[in-house]
Formats: sequence, C-alpha cells, structure tokens
Amino acid sequence: MNQEQLINELRVIIAETIEIDDFTDDENFISDLGVDSMMIIEIVARLEKKYRIDIEESYLHQMTTFNQLVATVKEIMESNGQVGGGR
Amino acid sequence: MKPLYTYDEVRQLLPQSYPFLFIDVVEALVPGERIICRKNITGNEWMIPGHFPDKTIYPGVLLIESMAQSAILLGKLSPSIHIDDTASFLLTAVKSRFVNPVVPGDQLRIECVSIKWFSAQGMVEATIRVRDETVAKAELIFSMARNT
Repeated sequence: MNQEQLINELRVIIAETIEIDDFTDDENFISDLGVDSMMIIEIVARLEKKYRIDIEESYLHQMTTFNQLVATVKEIMESNGQVGGGR
Repeated sequence: MKPLYTYDEVRQLLPQSYPFLFIDVVEALVPGERIICRKNITGNEWMIPGHFPDKTIYPGVLLIESMAQSAILLGKLSPSIHIDDTASFLLTAVKSRFVNPVVPGDQLRIECVSIKWFSAQGMVEATIRVRDETVAKAELIFSMARNT
C-alpha cells in the first residue's frame, strides 16, 4: 500500500467515525470538528484493528489533525516494519 | 460451574449496589482481555411488574447495564488496566443490537472483550447469550472520572 492509499483509507475511517465528510487536513479534530474523547478512542480502536498496530495514549497529543494522524500512523507502521500494512 | 468471583465479591468490586446490581457472579476471566459473567433472571425482580404488565420482557436497557458492569469488573480485575479505586464510570456511547427477548427463567452469560483502554476512557465489545444463543450485543465506550 502506498501513501496515497493509506491517506484515502484513513480519511474514510475518520469520516465514518466522526460522521463528517468535509474536513481539511489541518483542521483540529477537537476545536474545529467537535470530536470528543469518546470518538478518539473509537478512531484509535478502528486504526489498531485495521492496521494491527498499537497506539499508546502518549501518541494522542500528536494526532490532533488529519495530517498529524496520518504521520503518526505511518510512523508506528514503519517502526513495526509494516510499511505496506493494512487488510 | 463454580464461580470465579461470588455475588458478595462482585458486590464489593462494583460501585453500584442493589437495586442496581446486574451481575450475579464472574465465571471466567482472562485479565486485560475478557471476562464472562452470569446473571439469572427471575420473575420477582423489581422492574418486572412494569415491563410489561401483560407480557414480561426483561428490559434491554438493563442488558446494556449488565454489559457495562461486566466491563467495570474486567477493568478492576485486570492489573494491566489501571483503574483508580475512586473512579466513577459513565457510559458515553453504545452501539447495540437486541436479537432475542429475555424473560424470567433465562440465565444470561455476559461476555465482555476489551478493545482499548486509556487512563480516562475504555472501549469494550460485549455479547449476552442465553442457552448459547445470542440475545444482545453491543459496543460500549465509557469514561472514568476520578472522584475528588
């Protein structure tokens, strides 16, 4: 899976979870899009299940926008040696 | 089956008390992963006369409460899930399906599987079975607020 595919998949997961299709890459999930901590744990659970990764709570502060979330997921997947991950 | 935790032990673990206890015993536990609890439904419970007067159906909302209490027990009995002893548990999101009605005489087997825990939130999937048939399932998200 290349970066573009990963970004597209992540956009779908976020849009489905927060029930907002129209968001920009740099909008803040909490202050701009009204995402609450309950949605965040749901997003994290879906990402962990889809990509078989473990997202520790300490990563949350660097997942406040879509761009940041993509970078974090990519970083975790790369550190796991699963650059082409996903199923 | 001999319970892993008895009713009296469950009462000590849960923050709720009668008439809002919806777990009888804990049957099995894999700490940090899953728990199986049991509750017997009888015709003389407090909610039965009103739900409904002419046809008894155990309320679905109380099946959700059984699932939520199973999640609390899973959290409290799992050393890897760090739960503050003073925490209050607030159910904040539920996606549920009720498949079959529950009636007096049924024995609920409530299986709760851990999905994700943070310091102040948790997410679990739970399934309730009666005689090996699924009667309800749900995904629960809850927050844990420290009492100060």
